Amino acid sequence: MTLAAQRWPAFAEPIAGRKRPGARTVYRMELAKMRRLIRVRVIAVLAIIGPFLAVAALHLQSATPGDTAFGQWVHVSGFAIPMVVLGFAAQWIAPGLAAVVAGDIFSAEDHFGTWKTVLTRSCSRGQLFTGKFLAALTFGLALGLLLTVTDLLAGLLAGTQPVVGLGGQLVPAGHATLLVVLSYLSDLPPLLGFTALAVLLSVVSRSSVVGIGGVVAITFLLQVVTLLSLPAWAQLALLSTPFQAWHGFWAQPAFYGEFSWGLVTCAGWFAACAAGSWLVFRRRTIGVAP
Amino acid sequence: MRRSLAAVLGAAAVLAPILSGCGSTGITAAPLQSSISSTFANLYVLQQADQGNPRPSLRSLHSHTGCLKGTPAMPQGGSGNWLCYITYYPSGPAYPVIAKYKVDVQTDGCYAADGDGPASVNGSPTITGPHYQQVINPLALIDGCFDFT
Amino acid sequence: MVAVTEAGPAETGSAEALSAVAARGVSKWFGPATALDAVDFTVRPGDVHGLLGPNGAGKTTLLALLFGLILPDEGTLRLFGRTRAEAGAGWLDGVGGFVETPRFYPYLSGRRNLAVLAGLDGGDAAGLIDAALDRVGLTGARQQKVRGYSLGMRQRLGLAAAMLRRPRLLILDEPANGMDPAGTRDLRTALRHLARDGVTVVLSSHDMAQVEEICDSVTVLHQGRAMYAGRLDAMRARAPDPVWRLHTSDDGAAAEAARHLPGVKTGARDDGGLVVFAAQDRLDDYVLHLGRGGIAVRGLVLDVTPLEALFFQLTGDTAEQAKEVS
Repeated sequence: MTLAAQRWPAFAEPIAGRKRPGARTVYRMELAKMRRLIRVRVIAVLAIIGPFLAVAALHLQSATPGDTAFGQWVHVSGFAIPMVVLGFAAQWIAPGLAAVVAGDIFSAEDHFGTWKTVLTRSCSRGQLFTGKFLAALTFGLALGLLLTVTDLLAGLLAGTQPVVGLGGQLVPAGHATLLVVLSYLSDLPPLLGFTALAVLLSVVSRSSVVGIGGVVAITFLLQVVTLLSLPAWAQLALLSTPFQAWHGFWAQPAFYGEFSWGLVTCAGWFAACAAGSWLVFRRRTIGVAP
Repeated sequence: MRRSLAAVLGAAAVLAPILSGCGSTGITAAPLQSSISSTFANLYVLQQADQGNPRPSLRSLHSHTGCLKGTPAMPQGGSGNWLCYITYYPSGPAYPVIAKYKVDVQTDGCYAADGDGPASVNGSPTITGPHYQQVINPLALIDGCFDFT
Repeated sequence: MVAVTEAGPAETGSAEALSAVAARGVSKWFGPATALDAVDFTVRPGDVHGLLGPNGAGKTTLLALLFGLILPDEGTLRLFGRTRAEAGAGWLDGVGGFVETPRFYPYLSGRRNLAVLAGLDGGDAAGLIDAALDRVGLTGARQQKVRGYSLGMRQRLGLAAAMLRRPRLLILDEPANGMDPAGTRDLRTALRHLARDGVTVVLSSHDMAQVEEICDSVTVLHQGRAMYAGRLDAMRARAPDPVWRLHTSDDGAAAEAARHLPGVKTGARDDGGLVVFAAQDRLDDYVLHLGRGGIAVRGLVLDVTPLEALFFQLTGDTAEQAKEVS
């Protein structure tokens, strides 16, 4: 124990003209912390090998996935496989995976009691919020892009025969590749919308269970709600609907109405959740139990 | 926290049936008929090519469709089970063929049409190719989507 | 109980500007509960200042207000003469410390935790990490994950984290909590060194005995109000007699003997023996008197120092007051 041993001259002089850290510093710190989380590493590994395992599983059995677009063609063309995966995983699994990070990145500080630690450094609440929010979005975005690449590669490995589109047309390999990529990219806006929703839930509840579990619950709830015969405008307002907007890309003639409206919906949900999170976080009591 | 969650769910449960009345679902006969008509025509051409037969032109098929939900007295709109009859002319204008499909239409404008006759057209899940291989009959199960917006 | 405030320099603007911490009329409530009630709190630069009070008195709330974790409902707070509005983003420049037990990320090592915090400080704070760890004696444990740290180790890591900011003002919430006596002693010495180097230290505690040995000035809080604020020397002048525990061969006769001595009061203890209220010189007379009277002294221990006694009076610790008998 050397507390008493010497004086502390090295710490006595304050530094003048020090560059003040900003949201970008917080962002990099959050990414550095994120890299070390076990669940992030597990998800990354699953995203890389999962699609190839799915292709192998499909090859091993002769049955085809029923009740889903492209399902009947999975043994005929490799392009059907990423589309079947997208149709299922995008709406059921992807929001939950994004929430694993986004629904926890704020409430983890509540869980560890570290808000008072990070709020007593040289960063403002606004910078902390921005850095963390962007880090959560980065994870969602990276996850979506990673799955796009690995699912496409897994499909190409399975075979590059032309695939039958949703208008009965035969789509050759080059165009099919393009449509697969565009379909996956079109699911990024709703994924980011769910990311913002996860942040909102975790900021309001200060709990990772609500942040992550809440998104999973809402995902299921939305699937139930879409089964109801809601008017078209109500369907379009749900955050789960834009996940299927790629149907129009594969139709003949292709239509983009659902996709355009989907962008509006996602932007609306995203803005509302981001603004809500900030307003709640801005004035919160930290460090003292009220 | 639990109170506000209960309030939201309660409001949703009340609003949903009310909202169901306000505005069209976008799932009506017209877009379904148009989509299934052209999709069928494309798939018919594919089926002929798979069997090694000469490929007809789309225009010569003159396909058009009538779809019905339940009985004519019921409201003709919304997701669920429809019946579609596709009339087309594979052998010239004097010889119409009517293909029947049981169509399950979802709320997002996508449908799965199960072939229900004639047997030679959409009755069998597989067809025979020119080298006697068995391939999927493209007309047995038709997956398609139309714009419900 | 009357609030006692030592008369200090007149509260002019220039006096405030010279203080390290100046709180005027600060109030904070959470719903119906008042945590702080019109508290005035001043710390001179270079002082080691103790914020004293029983649990629930409002010490943590006041420290949280200093750090900007919460905002006051009434009153003004100045650090180095600037209010929060005037200082803007630089409010905590040169200010370091912690509120309640310091908390870190349990899945990161001690060193990596400091690296994260140094990053949030900007500048060259990262270069000080190893030196800070060495100063608080955590070099050996620096790669160990914080979830394996004891409370005392976390307190030391908190101090290291504070020192990364090169503070001119160090604010510590019960810093000796969880430390063994050796650690507490070393902490006291370190804080005295820091004060000699010109660092202002504000530390909170519920233990007057600890505060007595290190602080120059003190503010006593009770139920959200400042009951006393001033130099420790002045406080000693007002303090009542110390309290001693006495065991004799004949407690009854000893109590009787005390009646005839001025300046000595006794009372019975629940677990046998006597409690004696007397200044040191009066106590010496008493002990000699007992000896001459054939009563042997079997044990004599200082129980409560004068300042502790004053503290209990100020904070209405009625259990202690009730011991005063005869």
